[in-house]
Amino acid sequence: MNSVVRLVATLTLLTGLAACEAVPAYQRGDLARTEMAFDPDPLESRLNQHIYFSKEASTGGNGVAAGGCGCN
Amino acid sequence: MHSKTLLALTSSALALPGVVAVSSAHADTPPAVSVLSYRASSYKEDDLDASVLFAGSAERYDIKVHQLRYSAPVGEKYSFSLDSSYESMSGASPWYTVESVNGNAKVAMSGATIYEKRRDITASGRRYFDSGNLGISLTISDENDYRSNSMAVDGSFTLANNSTTISGGASYSDDELSPTDALLFNRIPSATKANSSAFVSVTQILNQFSILQSGISTARASGFLSDPYKLVDRRPEERNQFTWTTSWRRYFRAQTSALHANYRYYDDDFGVSSHTLDLSLHKTFRRSITLVPSLRYYQQDAANFFTPASDFLQASDFNSADFRLSSYGALSAGLKLNARVGKYTLVLSGERYKADAGLGGSGASSPGIIDFTRLSAGIDFTF
Repeated sequence: MNSVVRLVATLTLLTGLAACEAVPAYQRGDLARTEMAFDPDPLESRLNQHIYFSKEASTGGNGVAAGGCGCN
Repeated sequence: MHSKTLLALTSSALALPGVVAVSSAHADTPPAVSVLSYRASSYKEDDLDASVLFAGSAERYDIKVHQLRYSAPVGEKYSFSLDSSYESMSGASPWYTVESVNGNAKVAMSGATIYEKRRDITASGRRYFDSGNLGISLTISDENDYRSNSMAVDGSFTLANNSTTISGGASYSDDELSPTDALLFNRIPSATKANSSAFVSVTQILNQFSILQSGISTARASGFLSDPYKLVDRRPEERNQFTWTTSWRRYFRAQTSALHANYRYYDDDFGVSSHTLDLSLHKTFRRSITLVPSLRYYQQDAANFFTPASDFLQASDFNSADFRLSSYGALSAGLKLNARVGKYTLVLSGERYKADAGLGGSGASSPGIIDFTRLSAGIDFTF
């Protein structure tokens, strides 16, 4: 199971998500909206990641990791 | 004011998808405005159910959190941000687990209420180039029994098609533990551990309304990884972790709504693997009010050395009855309101999290899993 997931993840990255269309800059207004950001509220996501990191066994997957704490 | 807003929109749109980390977006130009943000949050765990309490206090953690963030452009090619938080915590924590006469596990909690404080501060800087950016951040986290110093670097590069961005980064942290009452409870008096991680991700504009990001990361923790406050807890001194994360954003113009979907697969050599799926809908009313309902599903397997009852005889080399290493699942629901008035945005949000052993993956479950409620209020000032 683990190796299958790793293979799928790697292939997804390597194939470069080719099925997409070129979008000119003047049509990117909706993509640039605040609510379309991958992290529209850094403070809230920072707190949530801290809570989940402290209370669940899983961590990572949110870019570069922050430091540890005594809560886990 | 209008020209600044237009500049922010135009520069963001032209530079998309200049997105660096899986969790954060950076255009290839600095942000056009400065933002000062404050949040006050309350995190409260439900009391332990009386039917599984063996000894000690049923009252679990109650944490108050204050967060402050300042981010600003510096000239035309740099940006800077400062994040700090202060937490004060009280409540009891699981100490050990026993098997009762009917065969079910029960939890002994720490007898006295624990009081603890934690402060952290992160300073980050970023340099923007024509087709990418490079950032560095330093973090210090300090408690009376734990100190962590960490550093992270990350960067992104937008390909010539201007629709694909490749990002990567690495981090390292150096942590020191000095458990309280070490002599009294035969705890390790001091110990160290280190964490290093690296990630790579691809961000792709799919069409005029949707964007996808997929990334993998690996992390290694080494040193003293056991919980010094458990009566019995012995874990391996190395842990290798892997994640695969995919995030999708889709804008619905007619509904003035943005749909967010995130999935994370995780596994490590403790034997834990997990799936996390969260969905949220960002619905905007009259251009100034945004309502965000959200749902999150989480499921994990137990670590291969997890034992439902504490292994007092230390029959195995490694053992832990920590509920965080048990098999369980959790569902949470959240609601958030953003209301913008001029340069100010009022933010109110809440989340209810319920764990259920029946939703777990493989392995044994624990009676110590938690339910919690988080409530937050704050304000953003843009200038």
